[in-house]
Amino acid sequence: MLALIAGLIIRLYFLQVISGSVYAQEASQSILRTQLIPAPRGNIFDRNGKLLVKSIPSPAVAVDPRIVAANKEVLETLSEKLNIPYDEIVRKVNRSNISYLERVILKQNIDYETMIYLKENSNSLPGVEIVDIFYRDYEYDSLASHVLGYIGEIDEEKLKTEKYSVGYEGGDQIGLTGIEEVYEEILKGTKGRVTYEVDPLGKPISIVEEVPYVAGNDIYLTIDIDLQKVVEELLANSIIALREKKVKDSEEYFKVPGGAIVVLSAKTGEILAMASYPTYDPSVFTGGISVSDWDHLNDPKNDFPLNNRAVMSFASGSVFKIITAYGGLSEDVISENSVFNCSGVWYGLGRDFPKYCASKSGHGSLNVMNAIKYSCDIFFYNVGYGLFVKNNNTDELLQKYAEMFGFGSKTGVDLPYEDSGLIPDTKWKKEFFKDQKDNSIWFPGDTVNMAIGQGDVLVTPLQMAQAYSIIVNRGLKYMPHFIKEVKDTEGNIFLDSGNISYEDLNLNKDYLELIEKGLGLVTSEGTAAYTFMGFPLKDIPVAGKTGTAEVAGKQDYGWFATYAPIGNPEYVIVGMLEQAGYGSNSVAPIAEKIYEYLFNINSK
Amino acid sequence: MREPFTKKKQNLDLDIEIAEDEKKGKVMFDFILPISVFLLSGFGLLVIYSSTKFSMPGGVTDPMYYLKRQSYGLIAAVVVFVVIQFFNYKFIQKLWWIFFLGNIAILGAVLIFGYEVHGSKSWIDLRLFPAQPSELAKVLMVISVAALLSKWPREKENKVGFKKVAFSLLAAVVSMLLVLLQPDYGTALIFFTTYLGMLFISGANFFYFIGILAATAGGFFAAIKIGLIKQYQLDRILVFLKPDIQKEGIGYNLFQSKLAIGSGGLWGKGLFLGKQTNLSYVPEHQTDFIFSVIGEEIGFFGAVFIILVLALIIWRCFYIASKARSDFGSLIASGIGFIILTQVVINIGMTIGIMPIIGIPLPFLSYGNSSLLSIFVGIGLVENIYLRRDLRKSHEIAYQEFD
Repeated sequence: MLALIAGLIIRLYFLQVISGSVYAQEASQSILRTQLIPAPRGNIFDRNGKLLVKSIPSPAVAVDPRIVAANKEVLETLSEKLNIPYDEIVRKVNRSNISYLERVILKQNIDYETMIYLKENSNSLPGVEIVDIFYRDYEYDSLASHVLGYIGEIDEEKLKTEKYSVGYEGGDQIGLTGIEEVYEEILKGTKGRVTYEVDPLGKPISIVEEVPYVAGNDIYLTIDIDLQKVVEELLANSIIALREKKVKDSEEYFKVPGGAIVVLSAKTGEILAMASYPTYDPSVFTGGISVSDWDHLNDPKNDFPLNNRAVMSFASGSVFKIITAYGGLSEDVISENSVFNCSGVWYGLGRDFPKYCASKSGHGSLNVMNAIKYSCDIFFYNVGYGLFVKNNNTDELLQKYAEMFGFGSKTGVDLPYEDSGLIPDTKWKKEFFKDQKDNSIWFPGDTVNMAIGQGDVLVTPLQMAQAYSIIVNRGLKYMPHFIKEVKDTEGNIFLDSGNISYEDLNLNKDYLELIEKGLGLVTSEGTAAYTFMGFPLKDIPVAGKTGTAEVAGKQDYGWFATYAPIGNPEYVIVGMLEQAGYGSNSVAPIAEKIYEYLFNINSK
Repeated sequence: MREPFTKKKQNLDLDIEIAEDEKKGKVMFDFILPISVFLLSGFGLLVIYSSTKFSMPGGVTDPMYYLKRQSYGLIAAVVVFVVIQFFNYKFIQKLWWIFFLGNIAILGAVLIFGYEVHGSKSWIDLRLFPAQPSELAKVLMVISVAALLSKWPREKENKVGFKKVAFSLLAAVVSMLLVLLQPDYGTALIFFTTYLGMLFISGANFFYFIGILAATAGGFFAAIKIGLIKQYQLDRILVFLKPDIQKEGIGYNLFQSKLAIGSGGLWGKGLFLGKQTNLSYVPEHQTDFIFSVIGEEIGFFGAVFIILVLALIIWRCFYIASKARSDFGSLIASGIGFIILTQVVINIGMTIGIMPIIGIPLPFLSYGNSSLLSIFVGIGLVENIYLRRDLRKSHEIAYQEFD
């Protein structure tokens, strides 16, 4: 007995006297509570300094999981008052990666009554706090939502990644897509920190240390919000109007599930407007998106409003023909004066494989300029076939030029989830069809299909806009981008895209001019002439190319790629409408109306 | 033919003894035991108030909630202590089977009608207050075992042979199994050590002692082997041996307790001024971890003083055992001493990280009326045994002379 008692006393001596100071120090830390003060996220402006997105403080309910986890009554009260299922609260509170000092945000943007209730009953709700967190306010509602993106609470998986390893904790709001995600680092700011000494009830007695937050930097975009508004409205109205129309020779209506328009500043790669339809209201994500909203946004019936179709890939159709034209000219498959005869059908691949022109009656003899003007398929079949014949084993020529113009790889635009599209080649086909031996070989017909933008070619509207801007700039390739300036809260400019870098592709300027001439004829006499009938082309000559992509099992996809004015282009516009029929009828009118706005033309 | 006579005579002898005791009535009260237990329990009230003034159960706003309840318990305990002094403890030796059956009854009742707290079905609702029958069971077991190990009616002299060991062991094992079913490993452990201690005191052959220990160890390993005891349960028991898993999960209690005690230092932070324990960093701080509060608030000197007072009480139990008039009294007093000793060592040991964390209260100090009342029943019996100690000699002399 004496030995046992002595053992206890000796152990106590070691614990309290010998290492007492160590424990005392550690204990003094554990009665300090550090509260992190979220920093307001940077605001987002358009190119003219119009405020698009701002941060607004809102009261949120935060709990100390260490205190509330074991307190069923508190959890039940919170469940009732915040209208969150009990199980979900328990799950949130018990998340594995929450350290003992951290807080968990249970609900944002609580109403005034709830806030008063929680504050008044704080004595019976230990571990529950009301904190200010910042949410986003969208000045222009859903305008440019695909560009701006939205923010939401960081999840456990992201917290484990390196990108979010420093300065983040559970409950933080982060950019989840769009500019918000890409420029997370610039926008987020640095959290402030207040370290309190707390009394035994957990209430702060004195402030030990206070570090103010640093607000996030403001971003100025290349977007012109007024233009964006015009473009989005035109896109939406056109789609709604098109859905009233029937497919030619059919009782079927056009489906038009979606579409996209990109407007570039022709000589800089600045994106002035980017619209995608259908769109969504980013404010539904404020304070955590509700399940019903989320389901709505992801229901196939609603055509996936969250998708930004401007950076998604689609079959391109005839807008691609400029690549074939440039490739043919460069490889001496054709010259300026080469003429092919179009009789409406082409037997270049043999009698058993007739290929037809969009014009059944044929275009007669035409050179490259007129082939562009009328979008003659047979002319480009010949060019494609010629390029295929010149292929050697290491170099597939049409693919080479497509890639030169930026297809098949990401443009590098400052948006997440950009598609790279697809420029199919021998290697790809072999890999893709490895289970179908007969299909895994690259046929001449593949190149021929590709020559008119069909086959397996996939491009994004943004890639197409970049390709046309290469023609505008005579071989200079600019990266399309949204960021213009970054300013901190004191107005110091951090990033100024004044000197824009470009890549010189060293293209043949004569060929480009020739192609441009063809594009000019498209709007004055060619496939888009009807649309531009009332447009003052004399003052503002417009280059354009229509496209109608055939997609197996679907209605045709309409395209129109254009820039103006020829001679000193200011804008590149590319539009694409899914399942909307001919690009000349569906998309070209939208582009024409955008020009009317841009050049301030009063339509008759 | 002689048997009924002997039995009758023995009973008669006992009755005569009791009657003689009362007549001789030379009463010498022991003051050390009651003074130390009442002072310690009084101090316990202060510590309970200190540790609970900020953490009331849900819906309660009175910071003295725990203090009041424990005070009522202490008043009842004083009454129990005083009442017990009016009976001659020897009176209950004949009635040992009532205590034995009573023990089985309350432990059985809790298994059927009880409710769970922290995963053990140890509590029963008595309308007036919730009770933990296993606390009273400790004292009842001591009484039954003491009766079975002391002089049986037919014996002239007390000899602890196989029969006695077997019967007493059976009584102890039945109680132990019943608490293991709750499951309450802490109380079972106390039953075990207390029984072994009493067996030792009774003067039984040392081989019984070794045999029981060996059988227990064998049974324990067999239970692990066949999976009756799971690895996580072992981990929980052995957490104090692994300082690296200190801060999280099952080591959290221990870490916080050590932090609280360690930060108390030499002199402590002052009564009512403990921060770790008041802030509820230490869980169960008014019951099983009350020593964390003591260590933090009154420091090393205070904690050692408390341990010394507890040691004094234990020593007094054994001292009284040695002075007791009969084997029965001696075994009861030492049994109570062993209960307190085991609880003190394990409870304090676990708060400072040298014993496994098993939930048992610190006698006189932990919040809980079942524990408080039960231990006062035990202490009351010990005092009773002391009160009647001197009678032994005269009786013995008389008896021997007579014999």
